[in-house]
Amino acid sequence: MVLARRASCLALLLLLAAAPSWAGAKLTHEYDLKATFLFHFAQFVQWPPEALPEKNTPLTIGILGEDPFGKSLDEIVANESVGGHKLRVRRFQRVSQADSCHILFISSSEMGRMGEVLSHVNRRSILTVGETKDFAQRSGIIGFIVAEKRLRLAVNLAAANAARLTISSKLLRQSEIVGPVRVQE
Amino acid sequence: MRTPRTTIGRKLVTAMMLTSTAVLVLAGVVFVAHDFAISRRAMVQALVTRAHILAANSTAALAFQNPDDATQVLHALGTDPTMTAAALYDGQGQPFATYPASAKPGTVPARPMATGYRFERSRLAVSEPIVEEGRRLGTIYLESDLRVLDQRLKADAIVVLIAVFGSITLAFALASWLQRGIAHPILALAEVARTVSEGKDYSVRSRAVGDDEVGVLSEAFDQMLGEIQRRESEIRLLNADLERRVNERTAELEASNKELEAFSYSVSHDLRAPLRHIDGFVELLTKHAFASLDEKAQGHLTKISAAAKQMGALIDDLLAFSRVGRTEMRKTSVNLASMTADVIQELRDDAKGRLVEWKVEELPTVQGDPSMLRLVLVNLLANALKYSGPTKEARIEVGARAQNGEIVVSVRDNGVGFDPAYAHKLFGVFQRLHASKEFEGTGIGLANVRRIVNRHGGRTWAEGAIQQGATFYFSLPR
Repeated sequence: MVLARRASCLALLLLLAAAPSWAGAKLTHEYDLKATFLFHFAQFVQWPPEALPEKNTPLTIGILGEDPFGKSLDEIVANESVGGHKLRVRRFQRVSQADSCHILFISSSEMGRMGEVLSHVNRRSILTVGETKDFAQRSGIIGFIVAEKRLRLAVNLAAANAARLTISSKLLRQSEIVGPVRVQE
Repeated sequence: MRTPRTTIGRKLVTAMMLTSTAVLVLAGVVFVAHDFAISRRAMVQALVTRAHILAANSTAALAFQNPDDATQVLHALGTDPTMTAAALYDGQGQPFATYPASAKPGTVPARPMATGYRFERSRLAVSEPIVEEGRRLGTIYLESDLRVLDQRLKADAIVVLIAVFGSITLAFALASWLQRGIAHPILALAEVARTVSEGKDYSVRSRAVGDDEVGVLSEAFDQMLGEIQRRESEIRLLNADLERRVNERTAELEASNKELEAFSYSVSHDLRAPLRHIDGFVELLTKHAFASLDEKAQGHLTKISAAAKQMGALIDDLLAFSRVGRTEMRKTSVNLASMTADVIQELRDDAKGRLVEWKVEELPTVQGDPSMLRLVLVNLLANALKYSGPTKEARIEVGARAQNGEIVVSVRDNGVGFDPAYAHKLFGVFQRLHASKEFEGTGIGLANVRRIVNRHGGRTWAEGAIQQGATFYFSLPR
């Protein structure tokens, strides 16, 4: 089962990696790729010990609002674990439910309530992931950027520090560092 | 004593050099092979480590689909000129990034190589998985040329060559120095052996010292020389003694021989006077009283006269024989041909009324005493004439031939011959093979022939058979 799932997941990545399938500014299978990225964030980000107090505490990836991933995220994280913590996916409609999350993907359906959402998770050790670069600039931690047929990342280091999250330099190498200072630009 | 083709020193040096060179070359080969193996292992280790480092640095690039970053990670390889190619493959085994960035297709494998390393003709390839948090993200492939290995091998070869040549030079110096210790006593021994063999000088000694077999050999050689020297002096003493004794005996013999000869000469000489008296008075008696005697007395008188005459002839011959032994030889050139012709002329009177065929071949001129050689010819030709008397058609041949550095003269007749069993007695004094009744003679003629020929340094011998004639030979040195 695991192998089959993994195989299907790899097949998906294979399709994504094939350059001709990326047509126009819009990425095909964009959310499959984003789901993979969400999974990899678990690998390249370190949470403070109190966020994962015990060995068997699961590492939770939360989706706030409308779920754009369908089954792909569930399939990617199925039976995966990072640092001994099993991965699981939770879907929330309100931010108040998402306190126990480690990674929180904020769907574009929540754009209108962004200020409320961010102020709620503020100071909690939650890696917030949004759909735009603007998201990171507005005290979100990671924002997806779709540019030149590629999916890139914008990281707000100040927000990450405030959330006491350590983002691997390897991940930062792949990202554009943004911050509140640059909001005016 | 032959000159040796090589020297023991050279042989020793050659043996030592061959040994040390073989050992050095073997050691060098082993060293290079060992170092080569170690270098290969180290090279693989270094490349694997490098692959691990690059893999760790490229996990995020693979995870977040960033080929630019991956290319940049690989670009760091540019600082090492031995790195020929590199590639990152994603989880599906598709090429993700390559080094050099604009690598032509085929520079790196299209699909990831199996994990591990592979040596090819001119390169080393390594493939390692890229893993993050236990999850395989892709594969890294690194390829290096074997420049490092080649350089190492070259350096090793140079070091080994220098070491080998240095060692060989040192070995040669040592061998040349060491061989002296072995070769010198042997050379000294050889020199002594040469001196002994060429100079027959047994008084030399090798006196070579040494604690090895050469020392033993040298000592034994010296002992042997001592023994030879002792025996040689013994032999010399014995020889000298023997020679002295021979000389003594010879002198004694010569003295007694001379005494005997003088005695026989004086006896013969002294016998002549009374014999002349007997002969003279028998003649007077015959002249005056022969007619008055009866027939019997006349017979007696005739016999006395004949016996006295024969005795006279005997004494004359003995005196001649004695003279032959004592008179000095005066050697000149003697023409045997004319001498033989003269003798035959003289003898023709004795052969009157007989049918004798003389046949004389070409005869040479020889060196010798003319009167003595004449006596030889007279004796041999007279004998031939005498003993061919009973033959109706006598034939006497005189010949000569050169053989083995001498001239051999032969006198052959077809007379009564002799029994070859007694051939050795022919040339003795008073030795006669025929009764005096048959053939007159004193038995001294052939003894004289032998004596004269011997004094000339030649030999005498005879061949013949009863009623088959006889051949007498004498030889003279040229």
